[in-house]
Amino acid sequence: MNILVCFTVMPELELMLDDDWVVDKNLHIDVGFLKQSLNCFDESALELALRFSEAAQNLHLSPKLSALTIAGPEATAMLKTLSALRFDPVVRIDSEKDLRFQSMSIAAILSQYVVDHPPQDVVLTGIQSGIGENAKTPLLVAEMLEWPCITQVIEIEPVDETELTVTCQVDNGLLQQTIQAPCVLAVGNAAYSYLRVPTLKDRIQFGKKAHEILYGGDFDALEEGVELMDLNLAKQERSGTLIEGATPKEKAATLYASCLKERLKKL
Amino acid sequence: MIFKLILIGCSTDITSRAEEINAFVAENLGSGDHVGSTILFYSPEEDRNELLRLVPTESVKLVCIARYQPETILEALQTVEKEEETDLYLFPSGYAGSELAVRWAFRTKGSSLVHVSGIECRQNQLIAKKKVYSDYLFGTFRLNKKPYCISPVRASAGSVPVQMRRHVIVGEHDLTLLCKDQFIKASRWSEADTTASLEKSKFILIGGRGMGNEKNTANLRELAGSLGADFGVTRPAAMNAWAPMDKLVGVSGAVTKPEVCIVAGASGAPAFYAGIEKSKYIVAINTDSKAPIMRSSDVAVVDDYKPVLDELVKLMKA
Repeated sequence: MNILVCFTVMPELELMLDDDWVVDKNLHIDVGFLKQSLNCFDESALELALRFSEAAQNLHLSPKLSALTIAGPEATAMLKTLSALRFDPVVRIDSEKDLRFQSMSIAAILSQYVVDHPPQDVVLTGIQSGIGENAKTPLLVAEMLEWPCITQVIEIEPVDETELTVTCQVDNGLLQQTIQAPCVLAVGNAAYSYLRVPTLKDRIQFGKKAHEILYGGDFDALEEGVELMDLNLAKQERSGTLIEGATPKEKAATLYASCLKERLKKL
Repeated sequence: MIFKLILIGCSTDITSRAEEINAFVAENLGSGDHVGSTILFYSPEEDRNELLRLVPTESVKLVCIARYQPETILEALQTVEKEEETDLYLFPSGYAGSELAVRWAFRTKGSSLVHVSGIECRQNQLIAKKKVYSDYLFGTFRLNKKPYCISPVRASAGSVPVQMRRHVIVGEHDLTLLCKDQFIKASRWSEADTTASLEKSKFILIGGRGMGNEKNTANLRELAGSLGADFGVTRPAAMNAWAPMDKLVGVSGAVTKPEVCIVAGASGAPAFYAGIEKSKYIVAINTDSKAPIMRSSDVAVVDDYKPVLDELVKLMKA
């Protein structure tokens, strides 16, 4: 079974100070100075793929994992890590377009890659990215490929070369389904949320393998129908009244007497 | 503007989703020249008349399907909406609603936006607001392809109970034989802890990265029990497996609205704050006086959370 994991690297926005959020006239924000890391849902998708591969090998199946991102050179370190973890091929599609809020274009590029690089059985990706928060890409890829889609996936297990068991979160429970590939799976709050670290030996042996670079300009974009007009800092301020006191005991006493006692009594 | 609400009766949280969508309509489509109706999906196991009580509009179309499955619902929509002219489809909040909004817009060559906090109808366009950049920013978007397909962010406009009213059933379709789930070979639902209980909680204690490890997380959970509070964690704590994912509070976990919320050892990143911003009263305890949560709270204590909460337990038991 061939699994293609689509992922994004993104700047660590929690390191931004209030003054760093400067929106220019083209509605861009300079985040280039921030450290890059994996989108949290995509990170789970990558780790789930590795665990699936190990389980499939135990069943004497021959899974093949590949990884794909649309990014600039800032993703290079992550691509090397994924090569060291035996994703092969590891592909970066270079695009100069502003794709932050262009889910249709992103989905068109990804689904075109799937069509041009057969056979692909499963497209596995995070449910949403951190910058655009569009939460549309896996759904649109499924629509474009005319494949079924399962969202809120938290676990995948192999059955045979064409079927897999997918566990996803639903209202008040878990739904475990054995499904026939091909399919698109959108990973949600999976328990395996960190990508493993490759061994030094694997880094040396596989990490230096050149990753493939394709050019986003070669792919057709679709009309979006959604256009960004403005960006503003979201305020989340309350009074933040400081509780004074010399010791934790004094502070707790003031907090309880002045702020909590009456409120908790009413619950 | 002609708008349609989509309600999924097969969902166990249909009541809260209907109340949310009712609030969203009241806030965003309450004035102006709008004509609304509802498409209610339900399966034969559900009480159709009970579900009708949750329909906020007078006009309603009923669609009976075998069971909830997104592919089946989309196919059913194509069947029942073939001849209809609709400007705006409003889907429920949450992942199911988001999925249907995006896929329905694609199939109808419209435009979609999910996790929307508010809309404004204009001539031949819809202006919608939603959070972006990990919830640090609000983005304003223009949708210019009809039908506009929207799914609100959870609890964006609160919830308004649906008033009892007489309904006009404008169509009734039995599509129980429609089946688009042949790719599913077997399925099994099992009960599991979810964030649903946190969303109903009146008093929550939430621990963040400052807990430091699994043992401290277990201790804080115990303290929550002593205080009579429910316990939740932020994403960094959940990702470190200090607590299960069903304790996750934030935009991708529980969106809570307690009377009192105590946040211990969490910085207050916007994606987390989205899960507590509807709290009536927020108490932050953090060693860092400059952490964003301190100015996002009603009261703030600059200290190590452990001794402060230990003392609080003693005071509550006194």
